Amino acid sequence: MKTLCMALAALTVAGAPAYAFKPTRPIEVVVHTGPGGGSDLLARAVATMIEKERLLPVRMQVVNKTGGGGAVAAAYLAEKAGEQNTIGFFTGVWLTGPLTSAEAKVTLRDLTPIARLVLEPALIAVKADAPYRTLGDFIAAAKERPGQLKQSGGSVTSRDNVVRQLLQKATGVRWAYISFPGGGERIAALLGGHVNVMVIEPAEAGEHIRAGNMRVLAQVSETRLAGFPDVPTLKEAGFDVPAVPQVRGVVAPPGIPAENVAYWEDVFRRLTRTASWRNFLADNQFEDGYQNAAELAKFYDEFTDRMRTILQEAGVKTVR
Amino acid sequence: MDIAAGLMHGFALALQPANLWWCFVGVLLGTVVGIMPGLGPPATIAMLLPLTALMNPAGAIIMLAGIYYGAKYGGSTTSILLNVPGESASVVTCIDGYQMARKGRAGPALGIAAIASFIAGTVGVIGLMLISPPLARFALAFSSPEYFALMTLGLAMVVLLAGRSMVKALLAMLVGLWLAGIGTDPFSTTSRFTFGRMELLSGIDFVVVAIGIFALGEVLANMEAREEPQALPVPKGLRNLLPTLRDLRDCRFAFVNGSVIGFLIGVLPGAGSTIASFISYGVEKAFSRRRDEFGTGVIEGVAAPEGANNSETGGALVPLLTLGIPGSGTTAILLAALVLWGFKPGPLFISEHPEMFWGLVASMYIGNVMLLILNLPLVPLFAQVLRAPVYVLYPVIFGLSIVGVYTVSGSVFDLALLAGFGLLGYVMRKLDYPSAPLVLGLVLGGAMERALRQSLMMSEGSLGILVSRPISALMLACAALVLLIPFFARLNTWRLRAMEEENK
Repeated sequence: MKTLCMALAALTVAGAPAYAFKPTRPIEVVVHTGPGGGSDLLARAVATMIEKERLLPVRMQVVNKTGGGGAVAAAYLAEKAGEQNTIGFFTGVWLTGPLTSAEAKVTLRDLTPIARLVLEPALIAVKADAPYRTLGDFIAAAKERPGQLKQSGGSVTSRDNVVRQLLQKATGVRWAYISFPGGGERIAALLGGHVNVMVIEPAEAGEHIRAGNMRVLAQVSETRLAGFPDVPTLKEAGFDVPAVPQVRGVVAPPGIPAENVAYWEDVFRRLTRTASWRNFLADNQFEDGYQNAAELAKFYDEFTDRMRTILQEAGVKTVR
Repeated sequence: MDIAAGLMHGFALALQPANLWWCFVGVLLGTVVGIMPGLGPPATIAMLLPLTALMNPAGAIIMLAGIYYGAKYGGSTTSILLNVPGESASVVTCIDGYQMARKGRAGPALGIAAIASFIAGTVGVIGLMLISPPLARFALAFSSPEYFALMTLGLAMVVLLAGRSMVKALLAMLVGLWLAGIGTDPFSTTSRFTFGRMELLSGIDFVVVAIGIFALGEVLANMEAREEPQALPVPKGLRNLLPTLRDLRDCRFAFVNGSVIGFLIGVLPGAGSTIASFISYGVEKAFSRRRDEFGTGVIEGVAAPEGANNSETGGALVPLLTLGIPGSGTTAILLAALVLWGFKPGPLFISEHPEMFWGLVASMYIGNVMLLILNLPLVPLFAQVLRAPVYVLYPVIFGLSIVGVYTVSGSVFDLALLAGFGLLGYVMRKLDYPSAPLVLGLVLGGAMERALRQSLMMSEGSLGILVSRPISALMLACAALVLLIPFFARLNTWRLRAMEEENK
């Protein structure tokens, strides 16, 4: 009986380490996109998985604080200094936004980094009937007609444009960039033949490739993705540019105790070890990008420094 | 034959008791959500998404789609009764709908909104069923220059929304366009007119402006008038609460116009139901024999936009289901839902999952019938709202407005903006400025600016791209024609006057 009790106690300890902090109310999860946006979907998927795996004693409620490319959501978190039952999901725009917008005052450094969760690789795709078979073909065509070929993508600080800037710098070739706020519009512009190329996330492109409407020239990733074993990475295609990932992760308001950070780190580390999480990554063709709070803070510094240089070289005015 | 077989299977699926039940739950929730100003289908569907993970996907998509098109039915209710637009697509309905209510015809207005919604909603489903693939190709032919031309056509409708003075209408529209410019530049991400306020970075929400100017402005203006305690007359008897046969006859063109325009604009991923409702209202007025009466409570002025915003849902499902391209917030979240249930929406979706597509189509036929049966009996009930004395009604409108704005953004700053726009609405009424052009400018401004700048990026700065592409050139020509309507009207008046003088 005694051994059983001890075993039970040991199990409980192993299952849920004792932390001084434990959430008492439903957790408010702040995202910067509206319902259906990338961050919103990730947060809702994470909330569903955390509930299924029983990693939290309370529920998670997603709150959409849209606007300003993440600035509104970041500022909302900053205002909640010391609030223990609130966390937020950040993406790359939370990092690049403050570099170019004077009003976007809150950087990740002003909040409490918790964990980095995923890295999203990307593909460089063209319409299926385009004459380009490789990225080299496209670059050569762009060289012949400088500024005439077009790429559809998000805002100028988005990863789409950063990849273009890096490729333009490496090759000395120039093509136009047309911003579309919605992902659907970017794809429609490519499929309608209004632009020549786009940087697209693998999950978005999958069905268009399968239906024979789209062709992939290269992948913006360090290693080849499982779903695209025959497509060269940028480096393999002969372009020595860094594969800029889209990052997603978790932050908390400023001024929360260290044991809370440890508690959340643990929740998300355990989440990334579940089968549901592995399936989620595989379904979306994301890469596991888990980093703990200290690593995330370091990553933030390196990432923003690199982005600042890239944006400045692209002629974008930076304010920080 | 293929279609008949598909539809048979679809009905077999949609008529299963469980799916019928989910269809009913969806349209009922949609009606409620549509009536509540502020709370829209995207937020509702997002909230329900985790629950649907446990459901059978066919039942789930039937329910979520029901919320989507059901909300379009409810949206007109507060527009007509209280001058509070329930959603952006119902702003136009305020113009004639609220005037009808003021004349004691709230019942027929609500009734015709439900009937027009039913007819156009059904036409939208027929369109979705019959001509999806070719229409999807048509939608892809649209890019920035075409969208710019479409928005220009929409903006040209201002001449039809103007009251007595064209100059005042144009001024109001320009203010609307300026308001649309507030926020973050979509291309360079620099901020414009934000006065250092973080809250303005995302621009001013349409709901804040529309509710402020329409609802609060109206209440303020009416309070000053010290009306009788009973605000609006409500005739007794069921017959006076439903549209008459004559009303239906007056609306026969509006039903067709709303159905066709709403569906075609819905198919375009970058347009949306607001512009669909504005354009169908404009077309209705431009071709009407009693053009001058629009704005004073003409029943076609309710039927056309209400129809358009319903057939728009059928259209908006075309790019979603045939290409996997969402055109609006709601279709984006439907796309996310399909992914969550393990489907891969895209060009192959219909051929690989015909049961889902046909089940959805069949459920939409059923859902529209349910909505008509659900909404018509509500008409007399809702019309009773206007029996409330003003000292009850006006505070309720204030409360609804504040709750509506707060549910959208959860921001106190927006409530301050709401008060500001309420005052602006009051001043505009006092000085006889029409409010619809301002809202039109605000709705179209952002998309129009983006489309123009994208076009110029495509053409390396040459404006020729706007007229060298046939679809774009055609729509710009239509816009020019619309702008000339007041001119022709004036010519006609002169001609009539000259004839009278001659006859003397």
